[in-house]
Amino acid sequence: MNRKLLGISLLLLVLLVGCSRKELKVPLEDIGMVGIMAFDYIDENQMKLTVAIPQYALEAQQKTQVFSVATDLVSNGIVEMEKLSDKKIVFNQLRVVLVNEDFARKGEVRKVIQHLYRNAEVGNKVLIAVAKDNAEAILKGDYPDKPNINIYINDLLEPSINTAFNPNTNIHDFMYTITNPVTDTIIPYIEKRDDKIEINGVAVFKGNQMHEVIKPEEALIVQALLGRKSLAPLHLDLHEGHGEEKLMIDLIESSIKMQSNKSIKSPKLIINLKIKGTLSEYKGEREYELNTVESISHLEKDINKQLEVDITKFLDKLKNMQVDPSGLSEKFRMYYHGTWTTKQTREVIGKLKTEVHVETSIISTGTLK
Amino acid sequence: MGSANLKMLNRYHVIFLAQSIMLGTGILSLPQKLSAMGYTEWFMPILFGIVATLTLWPIVWLCSKYPNEHLFRINEILLGKVLGKVFNSLFVIQFIIFSAGIISNYMHLIQSTALPEQTITLPVLCFLLLLIYIVSGGIKSIARFCMMSFFITIGMFYFTRWAIEKGEVSHLLPLLNFSGKEFFNAFKEGYLSILGYELIVFYFPYIIDQKKAFRHSLIGIWISIFLCFFTTVVSVIYYSEWQLKNVEFSVLNLFKAGEFTFVERIDIIGITLWVFLILSTVTAYVWCAKLGVDSLFKKKNKYELYVIAAIIFLIIRMPFSREFQDKLFTASNYIGYMLIIWPIFLSMIYVVRKKKVQQ
Repeated sequence: MNRKLLGISLLLLVLLVGCSRKELKVPLEDIGMVGIMAFDYIDENQMKLTVAIPQYALEAQQKTQVFSVATDLVSNGIVEMEKLSDKKIVFNQLRVVLVNEDFARKGEVRKVIQHLYRNAEVGNKVLIAVAKDNAEAILKGDYPDKPNINIYINDLLEPSINTAFNPNTNIHDFMYTITNPVTDTIIPYIEKRDDKIEINGVAVFKGNQMHEVIKPEEALIVQALLGRKSLAPLHLDLHEGHGEEKLMIDLIESSIKMQSNKSIKSPKLIINLKIKGTLSEYKGEREYELNTVESISHLEKDINKQLEVDITKFLDKLKNMQVDPSGLSEKFRMYYHGTWTTKQTREVIGKLKTEVHVETSIISTGTLK
Repeated sequence: MGSANLKMLNRYHVIFLAQSIMLGTGILSLPQKLSAMGYTEWFMPILFGIVATLTLWPIVWLCSKYPNEHLFRINEILLGKVLGKVFNSLFVIQFIIFSAGIISNYMHLIQSTALPEQTITLPVLCFLLLLIYIVSGGIKSIARFCMMSFFITIGMFYFTRWAIEKGEVSHLLPLLNFSGKEFFNAFKEGYLSILGYELIVFYFPYIIDQKKAFRHSLIGIWISIFLCFFTTVVSVIYYSEWQLKNVEFSVLNLFKAGEFTFVERIDIIGITLWVFLILSTVTAYVWCAKLGVDSLFKKKNKYELYVIAAIIFLIIRMPFSREFQDKLFTASNYIGYMLIIWPIFLSMIYVVRKKKVQQ
């Protein structure tokens, strides 16, 4: 009896497979994995969506497929794109999102990124950058010495030792900073130059819109204030009574301590920055004097003064713009009972008095005397 | 029921039963549930732990009065046969819907993250088959499964490393920054996540060392509370307040922060491993439902477990709207609170009717 039953069920198992529906899954070759998305501003309701998909077919002339459509919704744009594409478009491999400057200033960046944040296919580590002029042109550009635009831009925006000013904003960081009342969002700002792309500075947002582009040197201060441990080589112009001096310090370690007076009415912040590094290059009057401990410690003091001036100047600039990319107002929110709003952040930043102390220590000047 | 040879749960079983039943889908969304309080929510799990400790005491006290009976029998003794049976059947229905709610919640999560292009019918079927297999081994096999799932899943806490690195510890300040209404909302929503320890009223008669059962259960409860506390703190330092409110499965997104060179989507690994935690919770509830069915009918029935599983499957795949389903599951969640108050209520009846029922 049992054996009969087993036989019948085995037979059924084999035969009934023929009745199963055809597999609806798309084979891997027919999937177009988007590597980069770019958004360009057209008008209030419309944006231009461009995607770059790596091309693996050997017969194809180009290594990347680029599609571009004008659309009002992101997902609608993807549907439009499927009409043009020979493949099914998926976001699992999305690495970079570019928005052009107009879109960042006038468009709904937050909505677009929030759409991607909601999407379970998209990871949270997708990097974001603001492109000068036209983001589509960056994707369509020709980079003869680069393997593939997808790899190029991703590698460019990834953290690297010499671009510590780059905030490496990813989708989580963007959503975190834009929804957090105490910080304003910062995004790297890139520009296309012939067949190269350059990170030119950092775009600072105010609320949901882009406000201003700051220079890499200033962006480095933001990173220092945010507490980044290793900052890029620091380039300094000293004007401390020894003529014009130029020097470069390889920063090994930096640490920051901030102390607020906990008062929102007359906010005051004491900032202590300690940096440790090696002097890698120097050009100026004291070139041949820098071989004693005293002269080095004298130089350290000059660097301290110069950095204090630079940081204070930059903080004043932020004060005038009333933006807070480095989350200084968090130091006041920590002691505030009640709900903290963006308005309070603006007030605090507008009234903020700062006192900056920098302590540099140069560990070595290299192996040559 | 109630014979001495049924005692088979040693102290480790008791610890991990209490621990694993508590951790289910609840912890996944606990930070979001508490988000009415904003950043100050992080100490709430500790408070829950204290409340759980306080409510566990009357539960165990009542059980210790009837060392050989489980709640379904106690109901009948204290409330009379008819009323007791009515309440027992209500409990059974509650357990079935509650289990269905947990499974459906988890399966929808799986569908939206790991298997976006499939229906959940097949995963639910596989899940239920496993469930039947474990439950038919009795409470001891459930307890053993709980131990196993604890040690398999505890490693996942390593995945929160990146979120801790990135987080802002200053979010923990200021302390106690909330209003009464926010606190009440957070408490009401969040306490659900740690339900589960009250099931001791059903497996108490199987415990070998009943005198120490309270202490062992407490150890289990506080392990879970610590894990909940840890997740909540990590979420608070990693997210902004908006994200705390709007990211539904905070733990999932914590995993997303991770990066290995060889794995891109750690959240998928985490969320699929989570099935152990879900299974250990649901098996316990289904076992209780089975116990209830046993006590309702005089004749022993062989197939009640299969019937329960079939009902759960129907509830999950029933053609009702998602809205109705949601309402049903939310209602059963709130009824879940009843189970904590119920033993207190029974204890009062016990005190009043002491002489009568002790005969």
